[in-house]
Amino acid sequence: MSLSRRNFVIATSVAAGGSMVLSACSSGGGGNSGNGSHAGTTKYTGHVTVGTKEDSTGPAPEIPGARKGGNIIGIGPDDFSHLDPQRIYFAWNSTVANLYVRALTGYKIAMDGSMKLVGDLATDTGTMADGGKTWTFTLKDGLKWEDGSELTVEDVRHGIERGFASFTTEGAQYVQSALVGSSDFRSKYKGPFSNKHLDSIVTDKAKKTITLKLKVARPDLNFTLAMHSYGAVPVSHDTKDKYDKDPVSAGPYKIAQHSVDKSLKLVRNPHWDPATDAIRNAYPDSFTFQFGTESLPATDRLIAESGDDQYSVMAYSGVPAERLQKVLGDPQLKQRTINGLLSGLYYYAINCKRITDPKVRQALNHAWPLEQIRRIYGGQAAGDYATSIISPDILGYAHQDVYGKLQKPQGDPEKAKALLKEAGKLGQKIVYTYPKGSNDAYTKTAVVITNALKAAGFDPVVKPVDSTSYYDQVQQINNSFDVMWFGWSPDWPTGYTVMQPLFDGATIANGSNNVSQLNVSWVNDAIKKNAVIADPAKAGAAWEDLDKKIMTELAPIIPETFQRRFYLHGSKVGGALFDPLFSAFVMYKLYVKA
Amino acid sequence: MFRFLVRRTIGAAVILLIISAITFFLFYVAPRDPARVACGKVCTPQTLALVKHNLGIDDPLPVQYWHWLEGVFMGRDYASYGHCNAPCLGYSFINREPVTGIILDRFPTTISLALGSAVVFFVFGVGTGMIAAVKQGKALDKIASSASLIGSSLQIYIVGIVAMFYLSDEWHLLPRPNDNSGFTDNAGAWFGGFILPWFVLAIIFTANYTRMTRSQLVETLSEDYVRTARAKGLSGRTVFFRFAWRGAMGPIVTILGLDLGSLLGGAVITEQTFGLHGIGAVSVKAVKDMDLPMLLGVTMVAAGAIVVFNIVVDAVYALIDPRVRLA
Repeated sequence: MSLSRRNFVIATSVAAGGSMVLSACSSGGGGNSGNGSHAGTTKYTGHVTVGTKEDSTGPAPEIPGARKGGNIIGIGPDDFSHLDPQRIYFAWNSTVANLYVRALTGYKIAMDGSMKLVGDLATDTGTMADGGKTWTFTLKDGLKWEDGSELTVEDVRHGIERGFASFTTEGAQYVQSALVGSSDFRSKYKGPFSNKHLDSIVTDKAKKTITLKLKVARPDLNFTLAMHSYGAVPVSHDTKDKYDKDPVSAGPYKIAQHSVDKSLKLVRNPHWDPATDAIRNAYPDSFTFQFGTESLPATDRLIAESGDDQYSVMAYSGVPAERLQKVLGDPQLKQRTINGLLSGLYYYAINCKRITDPKVRQALNHAWPLEQIRRIYGGQAAGDYATSIISPDILGYAHQDVYGKLQKPQGDPEKAKALLKEAGKLGQKIVYTYPKGSNDAYTKTAVVITNALKAAGFDPVVKPVDSTSYYDQVQQINNSFDVMWFGWSPDWPTGYTVMQPLFDGATIANGSNNVSQLNVSWVNDAIKKNAVIADPAKAGAAWEDLDKKIMTELAPIIPETFQRRFYLHGSKVGGALFDPLFSAFVMYKLYVKA
Repeated sequence: MFRFLVRRTIGAAVILLIISAITFFLFYVAPRDPARVACGKVCTPQTLALVKHNLGIDDPLPVQYWHWLEGVFMGRDYASYGHCNAPCLGYSFINREPVTGIILDRFPTTISLALGSAVVFFVFGVGTGMIAAVKQGKALDKIASSASLIGSSLQIYIVGIVAMFYLSDEWHLLPRPNDNSGFTDNAGAWFGGFILPWFVLAIIFTANYTRMTRSQLVETLSEDYVRTARAKGLSGRTVFFRFAWRGAMGPIVTILGLDLGSLLGGAVITEQTFGLHGIGAVSVKAVKDMDLPMLLGVTMVAAGAIVVFNIVVDAVYALIDPRVRLA
């Protein structure tokens, strides 16, 4: 789900095109004092809570003024890379998967952008036992596949067990690892195709229950199971590798026609019963996705709105920086935009193995020129200053700013210098790296970063790495970089999905996402402890505390921005809402205006 | 003629074989590992090895190349897909489909674009060139010559975007370029979708044909045999069309054949500019995705189109100009 590490690669190279709004552009609100207020919205969207059984009961609340019928066109640069739920990881694939894939749980998004985790196929968000090691879900009545056959607990189990198959390497691996207790889970189980099932999943067809018995406690498993990687697949219609071309729908729409990289058409699934679905509205009769239009020409098309483009939306690639001013400067165009923060955080990882003194790392945080950097990205419209590890879309998020960056977003060289002096490290050499060739903006930010570091008493050396091998190089344990541009987007909105991969010392290895190589026992212990807190609200608060403590005492990263993305839609499109999880339109809420 | 065709066909096959081998081996010099694309967020060595096996890229290079050649001539079986009929140009692991199918799916757009624009630029180019040659030195000639100079110095990505902006978006005179309808399912919509790309592509190409036709005609019109024909009392029209025009057409047909060949291999920039989904768009995407089978497929189609049209051009040349003999 959501932006993943690899999405950052993609986003900064080609697939997402201008969607990361990172090409150079002045103003757009840049150059002001930059207090982190939100351009275009008054509050953070994406606030998440866990819903009740009532919340999980369909149908989804009607959208006032919405009407049935018509066709919505989604314009995007590239085709969806996968349609097989078990092979779906990237956010942009999930925007379409929402229309035909259903998993045990899912997110019910209100029109104000707030989210509730609810039961999707299941009647509620599951019953946890054994401290998070055992999870039981009951299926709703009336669930059907697009051919009218019943969707059973076996189909749900099949979806989870398919994640072990040799052809589903692209999907998420969390549940598989937890079920067999090993990250090398394919050596323990080969998938359901020889009629062998996992002992750790127990189904009861009569009672419609499915129980997952994990080897490790996962109190937020109900969040994990909302990932499309764990969507149900009908046992009797599974075509294995070919399922990716023609998946069977359990949602309101089914795939009618697909021409690779050109178009994808979805039409109503007559066997979907809205009474079983608390999440999805389904107003249009069909959706047509048209591929091959990059974000800039797509924006121009939507500005011009000729012909059917009035019924179009930018499917998953947002308004690029060079058009932001035009779009936001024209009230009529601005009315046709939606925007929201991308889930996750852009930051700079400090290599704790090389920069061992926390004081130096704290000095780096003080010195970092957030304002100048954001101005290069396009100013205030490009996003909000990040002042914590945990992003606003995470359950339990509370604003904090231990380095006072909102007061001095341009950097505080005096404070940085004082800390360096205290540490006896004035003139400390800092090797900074960023991916080169993917985005002009990073070359420009390197200049302002260098200037700020010099002003704060550092001796900066910039060593860019070619974007095609950037991640491979910075994820080497023995790399020669001190500060590395990086980004992380969680797979579901709990603190565990941020703190564990980024700061658990046990994960340090070549290719690990703990790029800071932080390995501190109290952090490792806290991660272990927080991971098994059963109450989501308490867990959220515990992760927040850990965030603050890590940033205050260890400063292993320099948070940069929570980036914002803008999308345009045609004037005949209603129900436009920014999906806080997948950072695009919530497709199933759109409708065609009369 | 027959011997000529056999000889040229064998030559073409050798050229295509060499091109395929070069493309295949060059791809592996690239620093990126295509297996990483399918290896998930936490890419363990075990998963990476599994992906490599799934993609068939764990064999030594020459073995992989040999399998590819086998597929082209005899078809091939893929573990994940099943049988791929000959000519199987490979299995695109990004699109999860045989390459041949994707290319066939896209070919209508490429053919529509290439042939449609060829009609426009050939008619306009040769027509203007003829007028310029006949009115040599007069105002019409000067206008035609300067227009062609301007035309040939323009770029599709500028003319295309400007034309699209004004003609489609601002003034709504022409539909936005699209390839949503095929010729057989809705000829009107097909025509509307392609008309702008045809003319924009033609603006760039027409210039060459105007200049070429003009200079060829001017040269032929001063040839001895043309003068002889005139001296024999033949009418100006007969002299022009039966003698001068036919003589001048040889080189122009040659260029047309080569242009068509390269357009059928995919008009990359034109397709990108107008958001069309032909072979050109496929090749751009294949490069972006490191999709070797796809890349190899489109390279072979493009190279094949050029090689075939070369042969056609040589044969047609002989038909037009009796002085040329195929030996």
